[in-house]
Amino acid sequence: MYSALLANRYLTSRIIPLIAVAAVALCVGLVIIVVSVMTGFLDMLKSSGRTMMGDVVISYPITGIPYYEELLADLEALPETAGATPSIDTFGLLEMPYGNEDGNLIETVQVWGIDPDTFGRVSDFDEILWWKTPPAEIAAELLPDDPRLDPQRDRLEEARSLRDPRTGFPGIIFGMHVSQFNKRQPDGSYGFHGGDQYWWMPGNNVELTLVPIKGGRLSLKPESRRFTVVNEFQSGVFQIDKNRILISLGEAQDMLRLAKGVLYDQQGALDPETGLPKVVGESPARVTQILIRATDGVSPNELKVAVTAAYKKFWERSTADLERIKQPPNPMRTTILTWEQQLRDVIAPVEKERELMRILFSIVYIVCAGLVLSIFWAIVFEKTRDIGILRAVGASRPGILGIFLVYGLVIGLLGAIIGALLGWLVVSNINSIHHALGQPAPTWATITAFTIAVAMLALGIASALRGSILKWLLGVIGFLLLGSIGTGLLLHEGFLVWDPSVYYFNEIPNSTDWFTAILTMAGAVLFSVIGAAIPAARAADTDPITALRYE
Amino acid sequence: MTDQEQTTEQPIIEGIDLKKTYRLGRVDVPVLHGASIAIRPREWVAILGASGSGKSTLLHILGGLDRPDSDGGGEVRFRGKRVELDRGSTTNQYRNRSIGFVFQFYHLLPELDLLENAVLAKLIPRGWSSGFFLLIVALVGAVIGAALGALAVGVGSFDGFGLLPVEERTPIRMTILAGAGGVLGSAVLIGILQVIQVLAIRRRTRSSAIAGDALQTIDDFGLGHRVHHRPRELSGGERQRVAIARALGNNPDLLLADEPTGNLDANTGREILDLLQERHQAGLTIVMVTHDPKVAAYADRVVELEDGRIRR
Repeated sequence: MYSALLANRYLTSRIIPLIAVAAVALCVGLVIIVVSVMTGFLDMLKSSGRTMMGDVVISYPITGIPYYEELLADLEALPETAGATPSIDTFGLLEMPYGNEDGNLIETVQVWGIDPDTFGRVSDFDEILWWKTPPAEIAAELLPDDPRLDPQRDRLEEARSLRDPRTGFPGIIFGMHVSQFNKRQPDGSYGFHGGDQYWWMPGNNVELTLVPIKGGRLSLKPESRRFTVVNEFQSGVFQIDKNRILISLGEAQDMLRLAKGVLYDQQGALDPETGLPKVVGESPARVTQILIRATDGVSPNELKVAVTAAYKKFWERSTADLERIKQPPNPMRTTILTWEQQLRDVIAPVEKERELMRILFSIVYIVCAGLVLSIFWAIVFEKTRDIGILRAVGASRPGILGIFLVYGLVIGLLGAIIGALLGWLVVSNINSIHHALGQPAPTWATITAFTIAVAMLALGIASALRGSILKWLLGVIGFLLLGSIGTGLLLHEGFLVWDPSVYYFNEIPNSTDWFTAILTMAGAVLFSVIGAAIPAARAADTDPITALRYE
Repeated sequence: MTDQEQTTEQPIIEGIDLKKTYRLGRVDVPVLHGASIAIRPREWVAILGASGSGKSTLLHILGGLDRPDSDGGGEVRFRGKRVELDRGSTTNQYRNRSIGFVFQFYHLLPELDLLENAVLAKLIPRGWSSGFFLLIVALVGAVIGAALGALAVGVGSFDGFGLLPVEERTPIRMTILAGAGGVLGSAVLIGILQVIQVLAIRRRTRSSAIAGDALQTIDDFGLGHRVHHRPRELSGGERQRVAIARALGNNPDLLLADEPTGNLDANTGREILDLLQERHQAGLTIVMVTHDPKVAAYADRVVELEDGRIRR
């Protein structure tokens, strides 16, 4: 009981423990802020990547998976599946509607053929589309030639149908950065200001060329078609938005010869009646990948296990049907990956950076321990005689140890709680803080800083005249410090650390990483106790007579 | 007390053939050379000796603050029983319950007020300190928390309070999270219990059960109006009175005073000796160390210590 009383008095009657609490709080707050922002970026990156592909992807490139409709039905029947959609993933050449004196610019792009009806069940298709008819209050602020203001056009509907109702051309949707003219603006919006008018991609016609594959060899004749840009999307992953375009699944199947069709015997004799090669069957439509989304509460890894089993059953059933000329690829040769595995080249570096940050900032724990250790070492030295007194009135060695361990624990706990609160406040308001930094300092803040500086100098001089060197010194230090702050505020014209026109996200992530916060708080408490343990053990070992004679 | 009573009654405390040698660097400095002393109940004995004669060492050994030499260094008997000075728990209880110490330099705890200093001995538990016990409980709790967390992860019933996305809930992460939660939970529990203990002490030091005798003593000593003052706000004589009140806090059988007036002026010293005289007349046994024959004259019996041996 006396240990609680003494620990309380040692905490509340001295300034050293308050400095220790402040130091632990700053360490904890720092870790929480840095790792939370890093985790926020990682989460934004991950969620952005996921918006385009669901949770699990089955892929078999080039020749594709036949009878995919059956597979889709099997997958949809799984309790782990919320939705599945077929798609084609290939590469193509895109002739842009702009160029130079040598002609239009040609871009190499990743082409996804999607089924607009089901793609939205797996991805956040509607959310990632950029051009939508805005609400009236936003519309009032837009420029008159903004394509979203055309009352005759529903950009969202055109994107969903992947067809331009005016030209009749099939529609194409660009990633936001496919067009060189989509420059990210400081406010996070897009557009290109060339002369007096803006350049918008929607409504422009482009030509897409795909190279069909036949029997594992390149077809001799590339297939080109004209498309109208009906919309653009922003997934949030720059690598995707820079390279990917979307067309309808039917167009992609047609251009790549993956649509349903008649299969001729190209080796045998001609049909005597028609004079054409003999029909030997029907070639099923194929897709190169199937995207699947998990139901709530099912992890991508759990879905992957279920999907792998379902694909194996589908393959066994299909191969058992000897009537079928084409067979789906062997499960061993089919790739089934979670979205995270699929995007590992994008996500892994950020994940590694975050882990590196966690490890580097874990040094903060050692700082905590060292700080508490040095403070406690000084306290134990100072309290040596108290320890002797306590031993003289019957306090046990574990009791003395307990006083200082509890003392260290309380410092660690208070520091951890205050630090977590500080971290949470900064992270929650990081965009407001960043915004404030971007503005010139308010006049009242500058005047206040200078006023306090002058007041401290006056107090310092008054103290010097009364003969106090310490107060004079504190006054001068305060004057220099606040004077510097005032000067800094006066000269501060505002700067942005985070420029949305350079970085890809509009805002700094402001969600606290509570997993890291809890680990950091527990680490701070543990290391504070460890830091206190050595001086506490030394205190417990102190011989009472030696302690009582200590000066 | 009559001479007959003194000779027939069993000694309350005995130091038998006590030897003590201090090691200062590489030099052995013998202080006690086989000192023997017996104090009977309700006796006031003054140990008189020059500086460096070993009188304080003798007092410390009698009070369990120091130990005689391990090899044939003699023994201390309290009420006929050998005091096991090598056993920490026995010595702690002996110092807490049976002995009261008064030092030359008062040795009050500066962070506690007058009343808290006076009841300090009563606040010390008989067993292990509750704070240390709580800490051990907390660490064990954290380990058990982590183990239970790991077990819960194993059977899939722990979702980590939703702090981690489903795909990041690996057994290692969940176990670490459970352990961290255990540490924090235990720390918060200890913090709460500390606050409760401090509040309880505050209440108890105002209750008659703990503070009653101490308040009476303080009042008897003329400090009733200053119970919540800190030691730094008191004069030397007042501090020594508080030190005596603390020494009497647990109603000990024996008061050991080491130069109780050595740091006071003559008048204040007399006041302190008068206080001790009052307590002695009420039945308290006192052993007092002094180098001043005038102070020693207050005692029933004076023994002289010279070169580590009792002369008379």
